[in-house]
Amino acid sequence: MISAGDLTVLLVWGTVVGLDLVTGPQVMIARPLVAGTVAGWLVGDAATGLLLGVLFELFQYDVLPVGASRYPEYGPATVAAVAAAHGIAEPAGLALGALVGLATGVVGGASLGVVRRRNTAAVRAAVPRLEAGDPRALAALHAAGVARDTARAAAVTALGLCLGLVARATLGGVLATPAAALAAAAAGAAALAAAINGTLRLVGRGPDLRWMAAGVVVGTLLVWLR
Amino acid sequence: MTPRLVSSFLRLFVVQASWNYDRMIGVGVGVAEEPLLRDIARTEGDAAYHAAVGRGAGFFNSHPYLAGLAVGATARAEYDHVPPEQIERLRAALCGPLGSLGDRLVWAGWLPLVSGLAVAAAVLGAGATAVVGFLVLYNAGHLALRWWALRAGWSHGMRVAAALHAPALQRAARLTAPAMAVAAGLALPAGGAALSSVEPEWARAVFIGAAVAGLALLTWMRTTLDGARLGLAATVLALALGVLLW
Repeated sequence: MISAGDLTVLLVWGTVVGLDLVTGPQVMIARPLVAGTVAGWLVGDAATGLLLGVLFELFQYDVLPVGASRYPEYGPATVAAVAAAHGIAEPAGLALGALVGLATGVVGGASLGVVRRRNTAAVRAAVPRLEAGDPRALAALHAAGVARDTARAAAVTALGLCLGLVARATLGGVLATPAAALAAAAAGAAALAAAINGTLRLVGRGPDLRWMAAGVVVGTLLVWLR
Repeated sequence: MTPRLVSSFLRLFVVQASWNYDRMIGVGVGVAEEPLLRDIARTEGDAAYHAAVGRGAGFFNSHPYLAGLAVGATARAEYDHVPPEQIERLRAALCGPLGSLGDRLVWAGWLPLVSGLAVAAAVLGAGATAVVGFLVLYNAGHLALRWWALRAGWSHGMRVAAALHAPALQRAARLTAPAMAVAAGLALPAGGAALSSVEPEWARAVFIGAAVAGLALLTWMRTTLDGARLGLAATVLALALGVLLW
């Protein structure tokens, strides 16, 4: 069972990770590979953190964060997934982590839209002061944006952590059966499919497709040789 | 390197904090530009300073890492006494090129390139060291691009388009696409191997079959289905099916 202290640390880490996605500093601690590995290290289960980091990093390849596009938020989701899977033997940990993380990621993505709408309303209310070039109004609007996103990231992480606790409590019996292996296989397969889909979209049908194929061949060889 | 340029640079790290549908990152750009405009109050009076700050917070959208180019260029234009309507036109003209260049160079180039290398390295034995390597390598490029953008805008002013045609930038944009394709290609079998390695033998066949079916579904339903929803549906269905079977 994960301790209250670990949950608190993960809540703080998930909030920082959530802020990094859009608000800043965008140094990519929000990438699942980083968020998951650090979360695993924080709770003393680095192997689970890295495995779930790889899982959600593959899901992340399906996302191109351009402009106002909507996409799932995998940073806090990966933190919640690590909390859910922590200490559970594989493949059950992977199945539980995927379930909790994917649900959290979808909610996290929707929450970004809520913050953007709130920001829009705040900007509309401040138009006269903005047009007048009031630097304090600018700073206040911007600081309020940071505060809104902090609250959003904390709420998404908290929801994910709660989901993890509920899932651990209710699915405990199922996790000991082959059903967990089937669910883990399905989650991993979906991640790989999403990654291939996103990469193909990024690479296109031009000459870069050959470079991607070369990478796949070399990667397969390296995995086989390992 | 002046303290005000450094202050503007630091503020650019949160340029998207007040992202909104009316002005996009315009408020953030205004916040980042404000330190560079402070000398206008001293040399030309408060009215000129407030007018420049007001213009700086208008609609703007670009890749966040390259927003500094617009911040520097428009601030320099204010000092060069460029007419306000020309400054507005410059801002509008920079949105598209800075957005598309940044998306191509960073979101579709540098980021998946370094991420792909990190996933492959982590799975092939580097473990958490690959994650540290990812952060160091990615941010070396990230910070260099942000700093270059602000400096280039500040030194070129209205002639900032010349900076966008810098040979190094064009070469980087050309080289990152094939390098990204190779790195992403490396990551796919490595990631797949890591995830299937925790499965029992019988579940690996399910893994391969489900990956092929999932890719077909994502291709067929490309406008309505994304990876997260596919993953969530597949995991729940597999768990339910497993409970029924066992």
